[in-house]
Amino acid sequence: MAPHVTRRTFLQTAAAFPVLAQGRPKRIAIVATVFRPLSHAQHIGDRFIVGYPWEGDWHKPNTQVVSLYVDQKPAGDLSQDRAREFGFKVYPTIAEAVCCGGSSLAVDAVLIIAEHGDYPRNEKGQILYPRYEFFGQVAKVFEAGGRAVPVYNDKALSYSFEKARTMCDTARRLKFPMLAGSSLPVTWRLPELELPWGCEIEDALMVGTGGSDAMDFHALEAMQCMLERRRGGERGVKSVQLIQGDAVWQAGVRGRWSKELLRSALSRSDSPKGLTVTDGRTQDMVGTGVLPQLVKDPWAYFIEYRDGLKATLLMLTDAVGDFTFAAKLKGQAEIQATQFFLSPEPNVTYSACLASKIERMIETGAAPYPVERTLLVSGILESCLDSRVKGNAVIETPHLAVTYRAPRESQYCRS
Amino acid sequence: MAANRPRLAAITTVYRKYSHAQHVVDRYLEGYGWNGTHHRPEMDLVALYVDQVGADDLSRDRAARFPAMKIYPTIAEALTCGTGKLAVDGVVVVGEHGDYPKTPKGQVQYPRYRFFEEIVAVFRSSGRSVPMFNDKHLSWNWEWARKMYDTSKELGFAYMAGSSLPVTWRIPSVEFPAGARVREAMCVCYGGPDSYDFHGLETIQCMVERRQGGETGVKWLQAYRGEKFWDACRSNVWSRELMNAALCRSHTLTPARAGFNDIFPSLDQMQRLVADPVAYCYEHADGLKCTMMLMNGLARDFNFAAHLEGASKPFSTQMYLPMPDGRTTLANFFSPLSYNMERMFLSGKPTYPIERTLLTTGLTAAGIDSLYAGQVRIDTPHLAIRYPAPAESTYWRT
Repeated sequence: MAPHVTRRTFLQTAAAFPVLAQGRPKRIAIVATVFRPLSHAQHIGDRFIVGYPWEGDWHKPNTQVVSLYVDQKPAGDLSQDRAREFGFKVYPTIAEAVCCGGSSLAVDAVLIIAEHGDYPRNEKGQILYPRYEFFGQVAKVFEAGGRAVPVYNDKALSYSFEKARTMCDTARRLKFPMLAGSSLPVTWRLPELELPWGCEIEDALMVGTGGSDAMDFHALEAMQCMLERRRGGERGVKSVQLIQGDAVWQAGVRGRWSKELLRSALSRSDSPKGLTVTDGRTQDMVGTGVLPQLVKDPWAYFIEYRDGLKATLLMLTDAVGDFTFAAKLKGQAEIQATQFFLSPEPNVTYSACLASKIERMIETGAAPYPVERTLLVSGILESCLDSRVKGNAVIETPHLAVTYRAPRESQYCRS
Repeated sequence: MAANRPRLAAITTVYRKYSHAQHVVDRYLEGYGWNGTHHRPEMDLVALYVDQVGADDLSRDRAARFPAMKIYPTIAEALTCGTGKLAVDGVVVVGEHGDYPKTPKGQVQYPRYRFFEEIVAVFRSSGRSVPMFNDKHLSWNWEWARKMYDTSKELGFAYMAGSSLPVTWRIPSVEFPAGARVREAMCVCYGGPDSYDFHGLETIQCMVERRQGGETGVKWLQAYRGEKFWDACRSNVWSRELMNAALCRSHTLTPARAGFNDIFPSLDQMQRLVADPVAYCYEHADGLKCTMMLMNGLARDFNFAAHLEGASKPFSTQMYLPMPDGRTTLANFFSPLSYNMERMFLSGKPTYPIERTLLTTGLTAAGIDSLYAGQVRIDTPHLAIRYPAPAESTYWRT
């Protein structure tokens, strides 16, 4: 596309949505694995480059992307196009990106978006995205210059809890705000369910779809953002276990996970598979008993928290195509259930909900919700996958004594 | 207890995968997700009439699996369950989809009026009427629609109609403030005339009927299509600010530029993306101006925006349809529609007024007429339809 057309487009968009006068735009460095169409870096990075839909307006954050690092440039790489069009530079190293080619930190915030790209998997099936390494290089610049700025880390902190904890410790030591995680906790919910802050949860169940270790992270994080609001706050996880196959259904028969909660969660699904795909019918998948025939490879993630709460994630990829949650609260007869709404590609407007949180951190210097949530979820997932490679054994998790307090204010999108 | 369960008849055009009849009738037979459980309506659908049975028909499968539901060869037999006298407590009419001829104006002649007439013939001969739900607009033909409305009043039965748009999820989950003063309102949506235009009109109407003074009817309508649409857009026949606000509620904006996944288009880019835009502009008797626009190629959802007096920015939301066109597998927007019908069948009272659908039926026909007559302004004295909005919000929130 010719630059003058682009510029005209940009001016037209700007004219349609006048931006109120604000302070100097915050300078942002994006540190990414890949910047190709529909990669996380493109989804989220572009929000800070071309703006995003927000509260019935096209919102232009008061930010300026000034530098970009990409670890890999696969076919379809957009990094140079973006840099040329929007007047920033792609740097060959992370240090140069956050210093904008100079000798010291030259940005007001760093977005580490290390999802997608060609990286190996370990024996647990985890993709070894180099988030810890990226973060380390950013922190090194912070430390060398004696100045740190807010950092957003997309998705899990690391495939390794130890590395994730080091990242959090570093952020605390260098005193910079850090936000992490995915869009699931902040997207719209159908319906608008929030568990009361300080509630007592008797049982909770999450249903997810897609493969490990990408989609199970999303599901665990969605569940965690609900459970962390319980009475006493988050105290961490005592043990986990991941089981697969027929054992999942047998565990349901024994009552290890609740069929009532599963029915309730599935009642919130808009994407049941099987007979719905065949002829459009609605289904009570729990009542008809169809799940064992339908789901070839069910995985159940059992999480026992240190305060006694037990929660289950069922990954039922062959049964549903969306993420739903159900919980039974003490003193309430009715089960509470909702869907975490993932709007379709290519817009994936849910990532605008996340961009708004990142923007808020950059503006205020405070993360709107604790990074410890993502730390704990990163660790839960790693230990669940440990359980899998250790013959589905129960894994004691003393290292997951992660405590934090969820903000009382709801953080999901309602506007 | 079983004796108290209402018995229903469903009168349908076709029963195939993803036809409206399949969406609605299946919910009575199979139950559906509602309020966090698999809800089973407290009523029995005992009689089914299907006007066209094709190779892809599912009604025979359903009747075999749910033997309490019998298929009858005529509407009268369905309503009487073969007894010669009205034998059901409610009627669900789903006359959408199927192979029916078109009028010269391009309207599909779905036989809702014929269905209605055959149903009320049974009501009359039985000396008794029962609540009726009519899916979508009453008829493609305004005179017939008006007659259906008048007959329902004459016989005094509860009558509800319309589409899922007024009752589905909203993202964000907001209600039009009751009693608000509104200068202009808009729906930006997709689809074609005589089909999704009705849904777009219902989207607007279920909101603006809540304005101060209630609904007062519509004075005139003018359609714009193709070049005339863009000319009207550039000369601010409707508010560009509202158009932008509505589009900012969309989850399905076509990226105007390769390599971007979500980027707001300029008007020039919209023009490149939308080959055949259509707008219906109309003015209510109290001066409210509304525009419904079909923007195929730009968005695939239903977005509402309005200028409310005293508000610094437009009020806007999306009427969200989980659409099984690859985005979902279940058209769950039929769940709140079914639930509202159920409430009527249990209570004998509509949960929202039939006058809404009478008006949107007339607006749909007027839009088609304006397009057919060369996009001229059409006076609509017959749409002087006044009604108060229901006190209760009936959109999906639970």
